[in-house]
This record gives sequence, C-alpha cells and structure tokens, in this order.
Amino acid sequence: MPFSRYVEIGRVALINYGEEYGKLVVISDVVDQNRALVDRPDEVRRIINFKRLVLTDFKIDIPRLAKKKVLSAALEESEVFSKFENSTWGKKLAKRALKTTQTDFERYQAAVARKKTSAAVKKVFNKLKSASE
Amino acid sequence: MAPAKKKEPRAPAKELGPGISAQGRSKTYKRRGLWAIKKKNGGKFPVHEKQAKPAETEGKAPRFYPADDVKTPLKRRHVQKPTKLRSSITPGTVLILLAGRFKGKRVVFLGQLPSGLLLVTGPFRVNGVPLKRVNQVYVIATSTKVDIKGVDISKIDDAYFKAAEEPKKKKGEDEFFKADAEEEKKELSKEYIARQKEVDSVLLKALKPELKGYLGSRFTLKAHDRPHLLKF
Amino acid sequence: MVQGGYKYHQYQVVGRHLPTEKEPEPTIYRMKLWATDPVRAKSKFWYFLRKLRKVKKANGQILAANEIFEKKPTTVKNFGVWVRYQSRTGYHNMYKEYRDTTLNGAVEQLYQEMASRHRVRAPCMQIIKTATVPAAMTKRVNIKQFHDSKIKFPLTRRMARPSSRTFKTTFKAVRPNVAMH
Repeated sequence: MPFSRYVEIGRVALINYGEEYGKLVVISDVVDQNRALVDRPDEVRRIINFKRLVLTDFKIDIPRLAKKKVLSAALEESEVFSKFENSTWGKKLAKRALKTTQTDFERYQAAVARKKTSAAVKKVFNKLKSASE
Repeated sequence: MAPAKKKEPRAPAKELGPGISAQGRSKTYKRRGLWAIKKKNGGKFPVHEKQAKPAETEGKAPRFYPADDVKTPLKRRHVQKPTKLRSSITPGTVLILLAGRFKGKRVVFLGQLPSGLLLVTGPFRVNGVPLKRVNQVYVIATSTKVDIKGVDISKIDDAYFKAAEEPKKKKGEDEFFKADAEEEKKELSKEYIARQKEVDSVLLKALKPELKGYLGSRFTLKAHDRPHLLKF
Repeated sequence: MVQGGYKYHQYQVVGRHLPTEKEPEPTIYRMKLWATDPVRAKSKFWYFLRKLRKVKKANGQILAANEIFEKKPTTVKNFGVWVRYQSRTGYHNMYKEYRDTTLNGAVEQLYQEMASRHRVRAPCMQIIKTATVPAAMTKRVNIKQFHDSKIKFPLTRRMARPSSRTFKTTFKAVRPNVAMH
C-alpha cells in the first residue's frame, strides 16, 4: 500500500508528546531528516522533531516559510483545525481530555447516564429478541 | 488473656503517616493491655500519690551543698495550635470518607469542631452516615459543594459524641446459655435521633435529587483508575 | 524564543594590547567565538589571541564581551563551518554543513557530530570560520536534498510512544507495531 501522509509544506501535524500534547501545527519548512519548522497562528515558528509529531490527513496550501497572515488565511479558509476536531481522531482526543478533567460528581453523572442508555438498549434488544423467537 | 501470651512483647504502634497511628484509640487501648491494669485496680487506673515535700526549715542554711544537681524540668512554652483545615474543605463540601465503617461514602462537611475534627453528616436518610466526627486525613475533599445554609450546628460539640459509660453486665451462666437473639438491642437516645433529624431535615431540603443519588453512592476505584491523576 | 537551550553560545570579545608609550593606540581585535559563558569566552579569546598576535592576558585588556544572538531564528539556513581539531594522531581541518535556524544550533550539531563520528571532545576543537551558505553554493548531498520547495517524503517506522516521560515503561507487554501508512 502506498503512503497516504507525507511530510510536506502545509501538512497539518499533531504534537504527541509532553505539555503540548494534542496541539495542531502546520509544517512550514523541513530542516533536515529529523526536524521540521512548524507554525501556528498564535505561536512563534519553531523547530520540532518528527518523533514528537504525528501527521494528519490534512494539508493546506501555503508557500514555504509562509507569513502569519497567509497561514491564518489559509487555515481559516480550509478550516482544517475544526475539520480535525470533528474527525473521529479529534473526537477521541477531546473525549480523552475531558475524562482527565472530570470531577468526582461529573464521573458519577456520566456513570448514571451510561447505565440509563444501556438499560434502554437492553430493553429494546430483549423485546426484539423475544419477538424473533 | 492466657499467661503464656502475656510474656510476648507488644507489637509496636504502626504509623500511617507522621502523627497518625494505624490503630485507633480503642485498638491501642486493647493492645497496650490497659484494660487489665484497670481491672486489677477495680475499674480505676492506679494513681501514685504525690510525695509531700518536706517542710522547709527556716533560718539556718544547710551545712552542705547538695551533692547532686537538682534537675529542674524544662519549661514548656509549646501551645497547641488549632488544627489547620485543608483549604479545599469548606462548609458544604462533599467529602469521601477513606477509613472505618463508612469508607467510600460521600458525606457533607458541616463544620470544624474545637478538637480539630470535621463534623460530617451523610445525611443519614441518604446514605446511612449519621452525624459524625472525622480527622481530615481520612478524607478526600471533592470540588462539589452543597448549600448548607440554615443548618444549625452550634449545639453540637465534641462532648456530644462522647459515648456514655455503661456499666458492664456480668454474664452469668444463665445468660450465657441463652440464645444470642434475645440480647436486648441498644436503644439510641431520643435526643440523639432528634438532633440527627433536625440537622438532616434542613439539608435534605437543599439537596437536589441528583445530589442525593451522588451522596448515596459509594466511591470506588476501578481498573485503570489512577487516583493521583483523578480530579475530585 | 528558540535561541535558548544550547550549551554553547556565540560571544563577541573585543580586546587589545595595553597602551604603551611607544604604541599609545594599539590595534583592537574582535573575535567571535563559542563558549558556555562570557568568562570562558574571554579566556578563549586570550588563548587564540596569544597564538595569533603578540598580545597576552598579562599585557592586554578586554574592551567588551557580549553575546551575539541570531537575527532571524525562525527561518532555516545552511551553515558552513570550518573547524580544526586535534585527533589522537594530529591536527585536521574540516568543512561541514548543517541546516538549522540558528548558528548556535549548527555549532551544537557540529560538536555532537564530531563527538560521535570522530570521538573529538569540545576542548580539542577550534572553530575557524562560519558562514551562512546560499543554497546554490552548498557542497554536501545531505544538505542539498532539502533544497526543494515541493519537498515530500513519508515518515517510516512510526512507533506509538508514551505522551510523556511519566508514562514510560521499561518493559513492554506487546511488540511495537511499526506498520507503515
């Protein structure tokens, strides 16, 4: 199978290590085989190692070392950040992040909701089961 | 206790943390065997009477200096400070009890008593935890707060929780062979029940049904739960 | 800023011979060099100067010592470094190229590479000259391959790694999946 995600200028990548875990960046230039120059509208462009990046399916059309204005415009137009957040991957990350910030009471509420849905599902399931027999 | 057992050295008091012994007051009492001493002395601890000081003779100075140094006790200027409450615990905070019969229960914090212990209540109707005192180290403070406006705890002090001394009934032969079921049930004092109801009635009104369910459930750790990373 | 985090920093040290009756206005020398702190930079300045000119610390003075910062730490440049180093057999000269955003970063790479490839420690190395080399004038193939505005390559052998050091484990229950996609 050929590759589907490449390191290229404009590729949207996810930081997968440390404090900034889950942050989206755009590859602005390639430094060498190990590192890339990444950018974000709200940050200063900086170098990051590929070991700390995961490439996403998204790519925006920007020139090499694009200015902040160009970058922001391209991001806004393509809406890749919000597209990622609405993807399965993004939703999974958001869910995981939510779980770590839940308080004890919220965990209880979630458990109650879970029980309620599974009970409802079970009820319908049993009904269908007995009907088919 | 059998005499052979008596010779065994006492197990040392274990400490859970600085100043917190693993065994409570009653366990320590048992372990130290104080009850035996008390029993031997007819229900009282032996008290050594203070030796009366010989009356000082006036006038003539003593002919010799005392050969030994007289030890004067050190002055103790230490004043016990009131226990500092954890900042996360404020009146109305829901706490998770960590030890004892009610471990895992979520309770409502009402106030701190002069002894430094926390006054909590279930409320009793919701989860069976009565008005009770706990040390704050045996408690996890959650971020959930309950409105406890109107709850009057001014009448409750540490003395309220002191168990009334009850004369022990000797078990005669007849009683021994009687079935255990016939043992009379301890009755709670009317005042105790009334006090509980008085506190809880105000609190129950303020509790939403969802909070009632929350307080009624027990806290447990499940697989893959990392308590140090959990937010409460 | 990206400028921090390097062990060696670039300093500019300015010094001269003490003025004498014969020479009331001695020549001023300026040197750019890499050191861990300004004190070491000044020491290195005297080391080089006494080899090059008839001035030493005992009869000289330092006029200024300041750190030099990268002007544009957000663009990638090609840096050429000329270096002289002492190996176990003798002295060698070398020219190396690096891609980085700062010169300090390139020098850091140089020290790392010299240590790994030639087992040369930092004190045995003398940086003769550095330059920002335009893309057309670079010599090394490894540098040239990145001179492509439509550069495109996949990342291979991707391994799931823990999200922080706290979650690192010494022993793994399962072999890593390095499937390429």
